[in-house]
Amino acid sequence: MATCEKRRSAPAPATGSGLVEPVRAGVGGREPESEAEFLLQAGVTSMVREALLKVLEARPEEPVSFLASYFEKLVLSGAAGDRHGQQQRLARALWYVRLAHHSHRTAFNNNVSMAYECLSARGRRKKPGVNGKIYSELLKKICQDGEVPEEVVSSLLRKIQCRDHEAVPFDVFRYGVLSCFVLLEFVAKADTLYDVLDDGSGVADKRVCQAVLGTLEDALGASDFSVPIRYLEAGSKLGPDCLALAMDKALLERKICSSMNREEFLTKATALFIAKVKPID
Amino acid sequence: MLSPERLSLPGPEYLAQRHVLTYMEDAVSQLLENREDISQYGIARFFTEYFNSVRQGTHILFREFSFIQATPHNRASFLRTFWRCFRAVGKNGDLLTAKEYHCLLQLLCPDFPVELTQKAARIVLMDDAMDCLMSFSDFLFAFQIQFYYSEFLESAAAIYQDLLTGKNPNTVIVPTSSSGQHRSRQAPSECSPLDGVEASLFYHCLESLCDRSKYSCPPSALVKEVLSSVQRLTFYGFLMALAKHHGINRALGALPDKGDLLLDPPMDQELEKLLSQVSGLSISTPAGSSGDIANLPTRTSPRISSPWKPLHHRQKVDTESDGSTDETESSEN
Repeated sequence: MATCEKRRSAPAPATGSGLVEPVRAGVGGREPESEAEFLLQAGVTSMVREALLKVLEARPEEPVSFLASYFEKLVLSGAAGDRHGQQQRLARALWYVRLAHHSHRTAFNNNVSMAYECLSARGRRKKPGVNGKIYSELLKKICQDGEVPEEVVSSLLRKIQCRDHEAVPFDVFRYGVLSCFVLLEFVAKADTLYDVLDDGSGVADKRVCQAVLGTLEDALGASDFSVPIRYLEAGSKLGPDCLALAMDKALLERKICSSMNREEFLTKATALFIAKVKPID
Repeated sequence: MLSPERLSLPGPEYLAQRHVLTYMEDAVSQLLENREDISQYGIARFFTEYFNSVRQGTHILFREFSFIQATPHNRASFLRTFWRCFRAVGKNGDLLTAKEYHCLLQLLCPDFPVELTQKAARIVLMDDAMDCLMSFSDFLFAFQIQFYYSEFLESAAAIYQDLLTGKNPNTVIVPTSSSGQHRSRQAPSECSPLDGVEASLFYHCLESLCDRSKYSCPPSALVKEVLSSVQRLTFYGFLMALAKHHGINRALGALPDKGDLLLDPPMDQELEKLLSQVSGLSISTPAGSSGDIANLPTRTSPRISSPWKPLHHRQKVDTESDGSTDETESSEN
């Protein structure tokens, strides 16, 4: 980087002096007003503020890498600003929704609405809005991340997809995006669960697997989750005592060693999850 | 993927812990310095390159010392850069003095303080014989400990000093003034190598120091390992043991293991290529010429002209023809 290779004679700015204020961040000494003015006029101030807000929202493990890719995206979106190609808008939206983990709800919601805006901004003449086609494409791209089997993805998409020409309201958009992210996490968790069950051998006992799946189904099943107490109930059903009991029983009952492979386990587990996803109308 | 501790920190604390503001402020002041170039370059692109170079660790090149030591990442980046730039020194097996190593450091950071180099050299040499020669790897590992854990070592030196004089080390105040540093680092070197402090007591003090310190400390499990192998030790013995400890080097993460320090496959390939080119050329000459030069009279050697040193040979021809005319003249006389 050429700019860094210049030797600096000016003293380094004081570090850790609260949130960045361009006046203070500037090199001390010469004409602080004009420097502040320059930063304001060139849009540096607002750009830095926005970047720091994004960092604070997402709290990334490695903020430097986060900032590098954040600014890179800004460059790309600036360069593509005239064309507004669909693929670029899609990539940008994808980047937005991945910025923060969905458990960080406020940040996630903000980013989803940024993605929604980004996708709905089209040519000046057309009305803004997200259609079903680009919405489905975004969902597919999100799901491509994980090790999710193809048929699982398509069965989820069947439930939350809209028709290609349909306008997708923001609520549906958010719901769909969130469902995909939760699915990804669910699959990852189910995968580690299988790691425990197979004990490193690569194959797990079928009965034990079925007992685990049964308990999971039992916990997820029955009534709707709008009542908060249901969360506690589900949690207690998956508690160590309940689950261990079921697994123990299954181990005692087993006769001939039949096994269940990872794929089958994952498919069955995700089927339980997808059954609980409410289809959109 | 989620470390809840990171998410529950207040915003400013999170930013400070990860040194986000250090880099952001530095980026802005760099931008101000180069503002003439910005208009054609784009601000977002400038920031992208800045943060990419921070990520890759090239951002510390030729920067002022205060910036280089500002964050642990900067220190590690500087160590890695120093190693990469000058490992050829180690490869050649050259031994250099502290002054010479300091010159190398100043090539990367012009205002690098000489005291730091001297302290590192003192770890290697164990005394004040500062004009002794050191190998590259000895210096590098000692320098790494001294530079990366600078503040920790200052406090440890003060603790050691208090233990030596029998004071209660828990009242140790972290030295801040340069005079305090000077005092604390001078005294240990004066004591004879036979005495020192009790290792276990020293460890307990260091453990509580690490708990309190906001600066980087070596992992206390590894410090314990170093200190549990001996009954008593001197301060420089302690520093030497830290410098030579593989685990601490690994935990720091800037340099490879000592065995791999001089491995550099791309450089080796490059050298190999150069060497083969050179030897390919020299095969044609020495096989023909060097043997001939030894056996044949010098007068015939210009005839075996090698195409890649025409100037040199032409000179040779001239001098020899001069010589021969002298000879002939003298023989005629």
